Amino acid sequence: MSYYLVTIAVYFAVDAMACVALNLQFGVAGVINFGFILFQATGAYVAAVLSLPKDTAHNGFQQYVLGLHLPFPYPWLAAILVSGLLALPIGLVVLRRLRNDLQAISLIVTSVIATLIVTNSTPFLNGAAGVALVPAPFAGHMSPTGTPYEWLYIGVAFACAVLVLLFATRLTYSPYGRTLRAIRENEDAAGALGKHVYARKVVIFVVGGALGGLSGAVLVGYIGFWAPSAWLYPETIILVAAIIVGGRGNHLGAVLGALLVPLGFEEVTRFIPQFGTSGLTPAIEWVVIGSLILGFLWFRPRGVIPETRRVFGPTRDG
Amino acid sequence: MSLYVAAFGFGLVIAAVIAIAAVGFTMQFAVTNMLNLAYGQVMITSAFVAYAVNSAGVNIWICLLVAAVSGSILSVLLNRFLYAPFQRKGIPLVGMVIVSVAVSLVLSNILLAIAGPDNVSYLQSSGPTYSLGSFQLTAAEIGIIAISIVLMIGIHVILVYTRLGRAMRATAANASLARNSGVPTVRIVDIVWLITGGLCGVAGAVTSMNSGSFTVADGSSLIITVLAAAVVGGAGQPYGAMLGALIIGEVTSLSAAAISPEYEQVAAFGLLIAVLIFRPRGILARVGVGSSPK
Repeated sequence: MSYYLVTIAVYFAVDAMACVALNLQFGVAGVINFGFILFQATGAYVAAVLSLPKDTAHNGFQQYVLGLHLPFPYPWLAAILVSGLLALPIGLVVLRRLRNDLQAISLIVTSVIATLIVTNSTPFLNGAAGVALVPAPFAGHMSPTGTPYEWLYIGVAFACAVLVLLFATRLTYSPYGRTLRAIRENEDAAGALGKHVYARKVVIFVVGGALGGLSGAVLVGYIGFWAPSAWLYPETIILVAAIIVGGRGNHLGAVLGALLVPLGFEEVTRFIPQFGTSGLTPAIEWVVIGSLILGFLWFRPRGVIPETRRVFGPTRDG
Repeated sequence: MSLYVAAFGFGLVIAAVIAIAAVGFTMQFAVTNMLNLAYGQVMITSAFVAYAVNSAGVNIWICLLVAAVSGSILSVLLNRFLYAPFQRKGIPLVGMVIVSVAVSLVLSNILLAIAGPDNVSYLQSSGPTYSLGSFQLTAAEIGIIAISIVLMIGIHVILVYTRLGRAMRATAANASLARNSGVPTVRIVDIVWLITGGLCGVAGAVTSMNSGSFTVADGSSLIITVLAAAVVGGAGQPYGAMLGALIIGEVTSLSAAAISPEYEQVAAFGLLIAVLIFRPRGILARVGVGSSPK
């Protein structure tokens, strides 16, 4: 199997996880997390510095904190934990008493500040150059090059994606998820019914952040490299576009969106012959993504697979 | 010490520039109730229009007018053909944020495709330098501050002493009540986009004059500085935006001198976050006044 197809498969699993996690916040609970990519980045960095050896290895060509050289499951579990923990203070502050649109904007700003800090403080996470040579997670069990390893990694990535999808679906159709949808539809009404709107939002913010962290860990375990250029704030917009296209509030829609927007665009444009100046194709790509958001919001705001409308059916005993 | 005096001077110029942009942004927000995240892209697009005219040999100060006109036209078109139709469709406020983000993506990348990714700079001379001890400003910087002051006074006069200003304030306070009282709110909103678009265009051009060289990618960092100033002063309040601009300008400039230039934006954003935590309606907010919570 060619390296290219494996890469696409892993990216799809990662994007699907990220889209489902963001869909829990944005689609189900109505919390527009414009800083979502920050949590994916946190997961990736945590998994990277926990699985890397001390930064004095490789002649100290890069600098980073920790470097604990932990074996497989621990860096990923820590990635989930730390991303969730990072989401807690941010959620507590941003979701408290700001208007919804100001919340969205504060989260963009948070994401931008985080990029600036990581880029400018080199000893922390190797600054703009990013951390490289992240060890392959299953290298202890088999050689990290070759087809069996690639299949193993695809299997693990898809297993994670399926678990995230199942978890999100269960959560969405639980009474807790019903409360989240009520909050999305009408915050004041949900509050008047005695639901603690702020607490529910903070919890879903943390859960989404933790799942985002997992997606980052899976990604960095495969590509072995993570830098600020990989998590600039427009990356979140791509995920938002994917959810709008796929169908807000519907996790299968989010997966379809992951297939169409991040994957579809990044890969399809590879096959378009280069024309004009070097920056022209990505520029057009972004114009299309922006137009896609506008077009869907205008013509089909509920997405390709709309969220099923749940109504009370006629009860048997009338 | 002299380092800080010089930094204070730079801060004044930055504040003058941000004030023009932030007042425009905050007036859009007050009257149309939407946070137009494409504002930074309109700024940089106008700066590039001015650049095109400037490269043809026109004096930079006349190019500012060109930038104002292009900002106005672009803003009115955006509102007429995108924002207003979406708002009529009943898209919630958060949805409008997504719309404006999408618009800013489209706008900046169309500009990128046309103008290219390179840094450009205006043909300008900064003129003689006037100094008072270590406090020194070039003639161009004094010109920028003067323009900013004139524009601020102009906005104040319009808002307070004219029928138009009163109609604008009425629309901002309660659009449906204003309409019922005979204010032609649709026309007022158009005029607001015209005026604020002009401020936006001028701001884009003077920012680019002040920073020396500029590129298409600057639009997205501009919007964040403008947002910081507008929100610190209290979103939707023109005088708050002026105060916010002064604070953000001085904080970025002084922290660049005190810590390191790489962290100047971090300091400004840190201030923004602190304001959002402790005074979410801004420094100037009075209890019970301002935009309604939803």
